[in-house]
Amino acid sequence: MSIIISKNTISFARQLQSITGENVMLCYQCRKCTLGCPSAYAMKMKPHELMRAIQLGLEEKIYWSGTIWICLSCETCNTRCPQDINILRVIDGLRELSKNIEYYNPEPFIPALHKIFLSLVERYGRIYELGLALLINLRMLTPFKDIDMAYPMLMRGKLKLLPHKSPGRKELQNIMLKIKGLEKASSHSKSKGEISANQKFHNKGDI
Amino acid sequence: MRFAYYPGCSLSSSGIEFNISFKYVARSLGIELFEVRDWVCCGASSAHSTSHLLSIALPTLNLIHAEKDGFDKLIAPCVACLLRFKVANIELEKNPELRNLIHKLFGYEYQGKLRVYHPLEVFHEIGLDKIKSKVKKKLSGLKIACYYGCVLTRPPKVARFDDVENPQSMDSILRALGAETIDWSYKTECCGVSMTLTRSDIVLKLSNDILREAKEAGANLISVCCPLCQANLDGRQKQIEEVYKTSYGIPILYITQLMGLSFGACPEEVGLEKLITSPREVLGAIGVM
Repeated sequence: MSIIISKNTISFARQLQSITGENVMLCYQCRKCTLGCPSAYAMKMKPHELMRAIQLGLEEKIYWSGTIWICLSCETCNTRCPQDINILRVIDGLRELSKNIEYYNPEPFIPALHKIFLSLVERYGRIYELGLALLINLRMLTPFKDIDMAYPMLMRGKLKLLPHKSPGRKELQNIMLKIKGLEKASSHSKSKGEISANQKFHNKGDI
Repeated sequence: MRFAYYPGCSLSSSGIEFNISFKYVARSLGIELFEVRDWVCCGASSAHSTSHLLSIALPTLNLIHAEKDGFDKLIAPCVACLLRFKVANIELEKNPELRNLIHKLFGYEYQGKLRVYHPLEVFHEIGLDKIKSKVKKKLSGLKIACYYGCVLTRPPKVARFDDVENPQSMDSILRALGAETIDWSYKTECCGVSMTLTRSDIVLKLSNDILREAKEAGANLISVCCPLCQANLDGRQKQIEEVYKTSYGIPILYITQLMGLSFGACPEEVGLEKLITSPREVLGAIGVM
């Protein structure tokens, strides 16, 4: 594999910085993030490799690795980074960017769970745990997963059969709708006049 | 002490015994709790993984309700909710652009004066002396591993509470109740809960590490302060034992359940019957159950 370093390679790091306020170019590969990361063992691209990949603008490789979805958001890397980079904020920025891009995701169920979670919150105002578990299990085609865990919880009244509706849900729905509108407008104005992120991947070819 | 109380989604279902036992302890210590009016979900991991603006807006909606009702302190026992509230407060304080956007979204200017607490922070503000004065039954004989979980103390700039790598806030309370707390190295390791429904294999591995370390360090009970940690370590303990061909049988209790028992509560008053791994043997041996 050859990597061509040019002025353009840094543009991805700068784009992320404009969204998150975090400067990934400060990373000097000390690997503290990876050493403390509880889920690094399950990542194809480790956290310090992710930071370097961002510096080199290897956008496609980043999404294909699935690392941004294996991250548990436990904040260990942020706490220990000697350059004070908020790595989780960077990963959240990548997760946000990935919404507008078509890419192969080896971990499709994790963003699917977030979608189901937020749609239940939007509907009821609070999370409906049993519904969330059932819906994601159906999506993963494993309808009976964790039934051994759910049964004793149901027997002890720790899982409610029906959702609890918050009286504040109308206000919440209103806010969520406004935010969706704002984000749609901003992603539309950004892609105007530029080649779309999807096309960009095709033009880059195999890096 | 008057507090707005944000129980969060977990404390109404899978973490219901945290709700029951915290309310018991709050009554004993003179902490007045008023549930946040029409509270909604804080968005948890799903909101910050989807949209930064949404992850600030959802907790702010609840903060605004509490502020409008005249509170200046809010308690969130679920550590995942707690972090989202603390992050929202800090981001709104340092980012005027975001503050304007939130102001426009809600048509209300949030003052940002509401301080957000975890129950442990409040217990320490009340002081160990007052806690000691309420003890009716000493917990001597228990060897407890205090498990703080990932984000109670992290990141320190946001949490602003306790030591980030070796916290002591739970240990010191339990020692004041007469229990022995053990020194171990997995106090703040992550149990993996954000992937509990999707990559359960990761969750089982991380939770197994925690249970194994606690047992090897000699604990006969683990004390927790987050409903998500509890659901994982207790609810998945059977699965972990099957997958890793081992046997733990370690009861996972909330700190507030242990405090309640020590303050003289009967087992039902702190929701002991809700636990999956029975604490009967361990607590029976010291005569509190």
